[in-house]
Amino acid sequence: MAILEISDFDVSYVTKSRPPFEAVKDANLTIGEGEIVGLVGESGSGKSTLGNAAIRLLDPPGTITRGKTVFMGKDITRMNEDQLRAMRWKELATVFQSSMNSLNPVINIEKQFLDTIQAHTNQSDAQARRRAEDVLEVVNIEPSFLKFFPHELSGGMKQRVALALSLVLEPKFLLLDEPTTGLDVVVQQTILDNLKAAQQHYQFAVLMISHDLGAIMEIADRVVVMYNGELVDDQPAHQLLQSPQHPYSKILLDSYKLLWVTPDELDPNAGVKKIAEAFQKPTVIPPDKSESVVLKVTNLNKTFSRRRGFKTTTVDAVKDVSFELQRGRITALVGQSGSGKSTIARLITGIEHATTGSIMFGNTDVNTLRGKSLKEYRSHIQMVFQDPYSALNPAHTILHSLMRPLQNYKGMNAKDARARAIEMLEQVGLTPASRFMNKNPHQLSGGQRQRVVVARALAPDPEIVIADEPTSMLDVSIRAEILEVLNRLVRDTDIAMLFVTHDLLSARLLADEIMVLNKGQVVESGKADEIIANPKDPYTQLLLSSIPNPFVELGSTAAD
Amino acid sequence: MVTNERPVVDENAEIPDAQARTLAEVEERGGLPVPAWLKIIWQNKKARFGLVVLGFFVVVAVFAPLIAPHDPRNNDFVPFSEPSGTHLLGTTQAGEDIFSQFVYATRTSLIVGVLAGGMATIIGLIIGMIAGYAGGVVDEVLNFCINLALVIPLLPLMIVIAAYSPVKGLVTVIIVIGITSWAGGARLKRSQMISLKERDYITASLFAGDSMWRIVFREIMPNMTSLIVVGFLGAAIGAIGAESGLSFIGVGDPLTISWGTMMLWANNSGALLGGQWWWVFPPGIALAVLITALAFVNFGIDAISNPHLREE
Repeated sequence: MAILEISDFDVSYVTKSRPPFEAVKDANLTIGEGEIVGLVGESGSGKSTLGNAAIRLLDPPGTITRGKTVFMGKDITRMNEDQLRAMRWKELATVFQSSMNSLNPVINIEKQFLDTIQAHTNQSDAQARRRAEDVLEVVNIEPSFLKFFPHELSGGMKQRVALALSLVLEPKFLLLDEPTTGLDVVVQQTILDNLKAAQQHYQFAVLMISHDLGAIMEIADRVVVMYNGELVDDQPAHQLLQSPQHPYSKILLDSYKLLWVTPDELDPNAGVKKIAEAFQKPTVIPPDKSESVVLKVTNLNKTFSRRRGFKTTTVDAVKDVSFELQRGRITALVGQSGSGKSTIARLITGIEHATTGSIMFGNTDVNTLRGKSLKEYRSHIQMVFQDPYSALNPAHTILHSLMRPLQNYKGMNAKDARARAIEMLEQVGLTPASRFMNKNPHQLSGGQRQRVVVARALAPDPEIVIADEPTSMLDVSIRAEILEVLNRLVRDTDIAMLFVTHDLLSARLLADEIMVLNKGQVVESGKADEIIANPKDPYTQLLLSSIPNPFVELGSTAAD
Repeated sequence: MVTNERPVVDENAEIPDAQARTLAEVEERGGLPVPAWLKIIWQNKKARFGLVVLGFFVVVAVFAPLIAPHDPRNNDFVPFSEPSGTHLLGTTQAGEDIFSQFVYATRTSLIVGVLAGGMATIIGLIIGMIAGYAGGVVDEVLNFCINLALVIPLLPLMIVIAAYSPVKGLVTVIIVIGITSWAGGARLKRSQMISLKERDYITASLFAGDSMWRIVFREIMPNMTSLIVVGFLGAAIGAIGAESGLSFIGVGDPLTISWGTMMLWANNSGALLGGQWWWVFPPGIALAVLITALAFVNFGIDAISNPHLREE
C-alpha cells in the first residue's frame, strides 16, 4: 500500500514582478510503506522543492499550482495548518542538511527529546526518557549524551541526534533532504549505516533527496532522477545502474564511474570517455629532479593556541610535514576536515606563518616574508578557491576580476589586460569570451564561475597553484570538466599544483602523488594509483571504504 | 562520496536564482540598473508612501520662492494677526508671514539632513571600514574612539560645542551635528566589514595584488551600498531632529529660518498660551511627517539587501 502518493504535481515560484518559474512539472511519485526512495538531481533541478512541497513545507513565493499529495489516505495538499501540525513529527518527519544546526543551543539533548515527545503524547518524563534512550541506541549514541548540550557534540553527532529526534515518535514517513551533505565521508558512512539500522527497526518509508548518487545507492530501494523540474527516471536502484532510461541519468552515472574505473573500463561511447583519456599522466619524470622542484617544505609545524580565561589550550594543526612540489606535476593533499590540509595551504601561501619548519621557494623562506615581499611572492603562487559562489566579487564583472592580477603583477595597461583576460577566458573554455566577459558572477552557473576562478589564478603566470577543494561545491556532472581544465592547464604550462581535497577518488584522477593527512600528520604518501589500489595505512583504508561505491555489485574495479 | 557539498547554495539555486539575482542586480556597481532597485523600493507600500511624502517636501523646498507668498523676513505686516487670505498661517510677534517662513524652513531641514547626515555617514564610513579591515592595534584604537563617541551624551555635547563656537550660523550647526553623530554608523560599517573581508573574493583580491585602499573602497564598499544608504537616511533623520532641537532651545543660529527657530519664537511669544496653534503646530507636524517619511523609505531599502522583507 502506498503511504505517500504525489500525483500531477506542479510547483511554481510566483511573484508579481517576474514571470512565474515552474520548478516542478507534472511530477508523479508513489512511495510504498517501508520503502526507501532516493531522489537525485543537480542543484536547481527542483528536487528540494518537490520534497518540501509534497509535505507542505514550501515557503512563499513557492506555490503548488496543480496536483495533490495523498498521505495515508488523506489529501494533505489542502489540509489546514492546525490539522497538519498534529501530524507532523508523529506521522511524517524531516531531517534537513541544516537539522544539526537547528537543535536548541540553550537546552540539553534530553530536554529536546522530552519537549518533542510530550508535545504529541502524554508520556511521563521517565517514559519519555526511556524512549529517547531507545532511539539514541538505534543511531549508536550512548544514553549518557542526553545530558550534553548541542555545542558539545560534533557535526556528525548532532546530525545523528537530529535523526534520532525525528524518529522518536515512530513516524510512518521520513523526508531526508541532503542529510549527509557537508559531512565527512567517514561520518556520512556512519549516518547512512544508522539510518539503515533504524529503518529496519521501525520500518518507516523514506524519501531521501541528494545530489550524491553514491549515498543514494547505498540505501535506496528505488531511485528517481529529477532533471529540470521533471522526474525523468524511476526504477529499482540496481536496475538504474545497468539501464538508465534518460540521457541525464546516463551522464550522471558515467560521471560517477569516471571516478571509480580506469578509462579502458568505460563504455567507449560514453561522453566522459574522452574526458577520462584527457587525464593521462606523464609517465616520464624529467631526469633533472632537483631543478624541477619549485617549493620545498621541510618539517613544517603549526600550533594554534587559544586563550580562554586563564587557560591556554594549544592545538597542533600541522605536525612535521615535509614534501616537495614539482613543475608540471600535481600533488594531492587528502584528508578529512580538521586534518590540517587547509592550514598547510594557508602556510604555503603566506596567509599564516609556520610555528617551526621551513617553506623554501627557490632561496626564499616563505615564513620570513611580510608586506611588500609577500605581495611579490603571491605573483608566483595563486589559489583556486573552494566555493565559486563566494570567490568572485558580486559587485564586479568577470572581466574586472581577471584584469586585476594582470594590471597589478604584469604592469599591463587596461587595454592589454583586457585582451589578455579575453584570451584567458577562451583558454578555460568560456567561448566566445565576449559572451561572458561583461557578465556579473551571479549570471553564470557554478561550473562557469569556477572556470573564471581558475583563469584568474593562472593570469599572473604563477609557478605554483593551490587548488583548495576546487570541485566539492559543484555538481557531479561538471566536476570532471573542471578537473580536466585544471589538468590540461598544469600539463601545458608546467605549473606545480597542490590539490587539496577530501576526495580520494578525484585525487586519483588528477594527481600524480597523493599525501594522506590525518590529524596534521602525513600518514601515507606515494604515487596516486598505488595508494588507491593498495592503501597501507589503516586511515587511508578507512577513508576509501567509507566512499559509497555503487558499482561494486557490477564487478567493476572496487577500491577496498 | 564527496562530502563538503554545496552547503548554502542549494536552497537558493532551487529558487532559480530569482532572489539572488535581483539582489545582485541591485548591489551591482557601474551598470546599476536603476529600475531594479527602484522597483523593489516602490513595491514596498511603506517606502512608496515615504518616497511620495519626501518628494513633496523636496518640491516645496526647491520651489520655495514660488510657493511662499511673501519674503519670510519681511516684518512689515501687522503682528499677531490670525490666519487669513493674505496670511495663511497668520503673522509672528515681529510681523512676519508664518506660512512663508514655514515654506522656507523646509529648505533648511533638507539641507541639514543632506549635509550633516552626509558628513556623519562619510566620517563613519571611513573610520568604520578602516577599523574593520585593518584589525589589530588600529582597530583597537579606532574602536575605542567609536565607543567613546557612542557613550558621550550627544545633545549636551552638541549644546556645548554650538554654544561656545565663535561663529553662529547654519554651517556651524551642520558641522557640529556631523562631527558628533558618526559613531553609530561607524560601528555598523565596522561589523559589516569584518564579515565581508573574510569572503573568498577578498582573499582573491589579495592574491591578485590589490592594495588595501583598493580592496576596502573598490572591492568591499560596493557590496555594502544598501547599508550605506540606510545609514545615511538614519543619520539624516538624526540631523534634522538635532537641528530643530538645537534651534528650539536657542543654541542654534536664531536668524536662520527653520522649523526649530519657528517653534522657538512661537514659544517665546507665548503662542501656545495665546491659542495661536497655527504658529506652533505646523512646524512640529511637518518635522514629524518628514522624519516618518525618511524612516519609511528606509524600510524599502532594507528590502533591497534582505529579500525576505520584499512585498512582491
